[in-house]
Amino acid sequence: MGSMFRSEEVALVQLFLPTAAAYSCVSQLGELGLVEFRDLNASVSAFQRRFVVDVRRCEELEKTFTFLQEEVRRAGLVLSPPEGKLPAPPPRDLLRIQEETDRLAQELRDVRGNQQALRAQLHQLRLHSAVLGQSHGPPMAAAAYAEGPSSERTPLISAPGGSHTDLKVNFVAGAVEPHKAAALERLLWRACRGFLIASFREMESQLEDPVTGEPATWMTFVISYWGEQIGQKIRKITDCFHCHIFPYLEQEQARHGVLQQLQQQSQELQEVLEETERFLSQVLGRVQQLLPSGQVQVRKMKAVYLALNQCSVSTTHKCLIAEGWCAACDLPALQQALQDSSSEAGVSAVAHRIPCRDMPPTLIRTNRFTASFQGIVDAYGVGRYQEVNPAPYTIITFPFLFAVMFGDVGHGLLMFLFALAMVLMENRPAVKAAQNEIWQTFFGGRYLLLLMGLFSIYTGFIYNECFSCATTIFPSGWSVAAMANQSGWSDKYLSQHPVLTLDPNIPGVFLGPYPFGIDPVWSLASNHLSFLNSFKMKMSVILGVTHMAFGVFLSIFNHVHFGQAHRLLLETLPELIFLLGLFGYLVFLVVYKWLQVSVSSAASAPSILIHFINMFLFAHSSTNLPLFPGQEVTQYTLVVLALAMVPVLLLGTPLYLLRQHRRLTARVACSQDENKDRLLDSSDASISENGWSPDEEKAGCPGDEEAEFVASEAFMHQAIHTIEFCLGCISNTASYLRLWALSLAHAQLSEVLWAMVMRVGLSMGREVGVAAVVLVPVFAAFAVMTVAILLVMEGLSAFLHALRLHWVEFQNKFYLGTGYKLSPFTFTTDD
Amino acid sequence: MSERAELYFNVDHGYLEGLVRGCKANLLTQKDYINLVQCETLEDLKIHLQTTDYGNFLANETNPLTVSKIDTEMRKKLCREFEYFRNHSLEPLSTFLTYMTCSYMIDNVILLMNGALQKKSVKEVLAKCHPLGRFTEMEAVNIAETTSDLFRAVLVETPLAPFFQDCMSENALDELNIELLRNKLYKSYLEEFYKFCKNHGDVTAEIMCPILEFEADRRAVIITLNSFGTELSKEDREALFPTCGKLYPEGLRLLAQAEDFEQMKRVADHYGVYKPLFEAVGGSGGKTLEDVFYEREVQMNVLAFNRQFHYGVFYAYVKLKEQEMRNIVWIAECISQRHRTKINSYIPIL
Repeated sequence: MGSMFRSEEVALVQLFLPTAAAYSCVSQLGELGLVEFRDLNASVSAFQRRFVVDVRRCEELEKTFTFLQEEVRRAGLVLSPPEGKLPAPPPRDLLRIQEETDRLAQELRDVRGNQQALRAQLHQLRLHSAVLGQSHGPPMAAAAYAEGPSSERTPLISAPGGSHTDLKVNFVAGAVEPHKAAALERLLWRACRGFLIASFREMESQLEDPVTGEPATWMTFVISYWGEQIGQKIRKITDCFHCHIFPYLEQEQARHGVLQQLQQQSQELQEVLEETERFLSQVLGRVQQLLPSGQVQVRKMKAVYLALNQCSVSTTHKCLIAEGWCAACDLPALQQALQDSSSEAGVSAVAHRIPCRDMPPTLIRTNRFTASFQGIVDAYGVGRYQEVNPAPYTIITFPFLFAVMFGDVGHGLLMFLFALAMVLMENRPAVKAAQNEIWQTFFGGRYLLLLMGLFSIYTGFIYNECFSCATTIFPSGWSVAAMANQSGWSDKYLSQHPVLTLDPNIPGVFLGPYPFGIDPVWSLASNHLSFLNSFKMKMSVILGVTHMAFGVFLSIFNHVHFGQAHRLLLETLPELIFLLGLFGYLVFLVVYKWLQVSVSSAASAPSILIHFINMFLFAHSSTNLPLFPGQEVTQYTLVVLALAMVPVLLLGTPLYLLRQHRRLTARVACSQDENKDRLLDSSDASISENGWSPDEEKAGCPGDEEAEFVASEAFMHQAIHTIEFCLGCISNTASYLRLWALSLAHAQLSEVLWAMVMRVGLSMGREVGVAAVVLVPVFAAFAVMTVAILLVMEGLSAFLHALRLHWVEFQNKFYLGTGYKLSPFTFTTDD
Repeated sequence: MSERAELYFNVDHGYLEGLVRGCKANLLTQKDYINLVQCETLEDLKIHLQTTDYGNFLANETNPLTVSKIDTEMRKKLCREFEYFRNHSLEPLSTFLTYMTCSYMIDNVILLMNGALQKKSVKEVLAKCHPLGRFTEMEAVNIAETTSDLFRAVLVETPLAPFFQDCMSENALDELNIELLRNKLYKSYLEEFYKFCKNHGDVTAEIMCPILEFEADRRAVIITLNSFGTELSKEDREALFPTCGKLYPEGLRLLAQAEDFEQMKRVADHYGVYKPLFEAVGGSGGKTLEDVFYEREVQMNVLAFNRQFHYGVFYAYVKLKEQEMRNIVWIAECISQRHRTKINSYIPIL
């Protein structure tokens, strides 16, 4: 848990991997997931790298796998996920896997091809028999025309000229896909007007397409035509529509014979096809066994080669040099892993830390409880390396601020129970494997929900609201009886005045504060709302100022950790004085007034608002009594002090940096003069010292760490920061009033729901029968609306506002969030 | 009127415009070209293309890889994208997209007729047809003997039908007539398309009209250039010029009279737009007139993306993608023929 407060120490390590063992080392690292490799060949394009051939081979294999997978899927079979742990296979196994896969793929292709061919043949046969099978009427009719042309039809057939006797009717018969039939018919008609008679007919049964397997109703057609030229044209047209043309004998008898023959053929073919399909399923069965494990293995192998592609080669070509980020506490494990996996090769791989000036990645280990809270922080921005991590504080403050807006015992309890159910079920595989996105969101934040529910119950007790109704756990601190006795309210007086005031100044009426939370008597009072408003508003300001001050306070840890003492003095201190001097004082006034002003002096109580406004105006109002002696002097001091902090904040850090920079440049110039001669002598040595290879150097330390100091930029940056902070103090404090607004909205909404639905239902009738009949639908409506509106909608809005308060108001006091996450090279895919 | 169109444009076409702009952002960059040029083999080219928007579009190609396979796959990819646009488009964008396909359809018809004339098998020619211009009746064009035959039997139902009004003739279809037919069809196609864009108004007209004017003028110039030394008479030549360009009418008349490149250049000198283009020909790098025109086209198409709420982006995207494909094919050809000296003369897309 200690690592939650800031990110772990991450070191840049250099790995020397002997060429023989490099593969096994990297594959072992992939299993463990310890190191994030840095690309040392950024300048080399993808196809010029060292292991590109191997990667290409893996890709080749993957292509074959895709083909196999597609085949299996097409056969309607499922691939089981691979069992057990499958390490990346040694490189020499690739050949074996490749051979095996290729053989299988070839076999499958052959069988599939055979099956395809057989199916096509069968399809053809069926089409043929369908074409022959249906007795087309029109050809007969056409034949009739040819034999005896009646006078009405003469223009149709006398066009070719010559006597009718040598006219011979020819036929083209075939089948065409249904969606093309209409176009074909039109084209035929247009191209050979009137020289043909075409009859189209749908087939009775559907045929499966030999390639896609989709059933389709083909159209068969018989075209009778005159003349050879027309025949050629028709043939061309049918060709272009990809029709299947079959010989069509003129005699009915002959056709019948052919038909029978065809049927016999198709039966034989069917048998062969069945045999082929049986064989195919055998092959597919073998594929099913081989494929899942092969896919995982090859994918791992490819990943290893891609990682190896990021390494550079040592000058002696004996080993590969890799660089990567690794958590400092994982270094021994890394060493161990390298040693284990390189022991076979004889030479052992080593890893050692190298100094680095780049900002390392951020690594914060989470468990299932902290993950969701870290997620809230990371959604804003991943923290810089070793910056203070707001997540541990968020664990408490987030659910608390949520609960302030969501305070209701009943609603909190429902949320708590829902979250508890999820927490208790979390190990069940069915729950884990659920794919529903909304469910996954809720499930991922189950611990967050649990705490949110718990805190809501707590604040619900503070507000004394359970489904908007007050509970009386303790006796109320107010006594109506005492009031009635003291002021002698008669029955008549009571009946005339529906609204009466309880005066706490009368002894016995107000016995003392309620032990915990809001007194239930307020839920009956007509000034319930104005009382709660005053209370919640002040509470919001107090919570807000505390929260922000805590944020500023946390920046101290940042400055101390990064050794920036000047910022402690020139930034954090002025900020704290500014915030606490103005708004801390406001909080003090609120608390002071709560404690100091009693019931007896309520009539002449001073107004904090006026006091606070006067404080800024350096004014004084005679009607507003001072809260404590010496108040004006204190206020003047605080305002002057706070305003004095603005220039300090504005100019302090830049001036300090400027001075430091000047001193540094002076010293460097001084030392450079001295060392000029020596440098000239040893220039060769220095080059060989820090330059094993140009790539490494490029990747290792890009640019100078002491980036060019630009004074104007520093001033500008600080000015922005100052303005943001000073204005932010005011606007952020106001922003915390959303706590009041949302809790008010929630309370009012739940009260409306109770009064409008449940109370109406309860007052319908007192007989058991009526109540039973009415209350069931009324309660159903109440329950549904409670869950939909109050729990889900209100919960979401309260969640969003709590999120904003954390991201904007709290984190901008200390958190930069400009880092990047450590993403180690790992084979595991589950998130 | 134009404000209203801008208000409502996104209701119907906003999705597609967003999509096409996203597609445009995925065009290869200068850096990609530099990498492509460095490739040693087509396999390298493939690996590099995998890192771009093309993805593993060649993953299922069997070895060995050839330039024509790359070309076909790229075309298929463009065609898929275009089909998607078309299937999701509403009027009048869908008409606009249909107009865009017409030029490819004309090319395909001509290609098929030429194939039939040379007695090539339909299948062989079909493989060369551009997939964007594919239509069902396409393969039947070789049954036609004359132009009017072609129109009546085959093309009357296709979007090409309206362009036939000028070119009905009973002449047998020989090579010259086919070429004439192509140019006549293209002329009426361009004019129709121009009219459509003009009538549509708004930004679409502002963007598309200059592009189509340029296209028309380019055709006129290319026709002139190709007709030097052929038996095509000057009157016939003039009849082939699309009349919707900037050169219309004086420029076209002068072009019709031109007899060699120099005279043509003199005609272009009268036009501020074309003068620099002709001057760039043959300059550094030995650019041809075609290259210069392509460069100018790319420039116009890229500029089309600077305006919003118009259909021109679709046209511009397809043209840019075509240019990109031509570039890749050029580079691939240079690589496969080991002819690296000219590899850099692709047309850069800005």
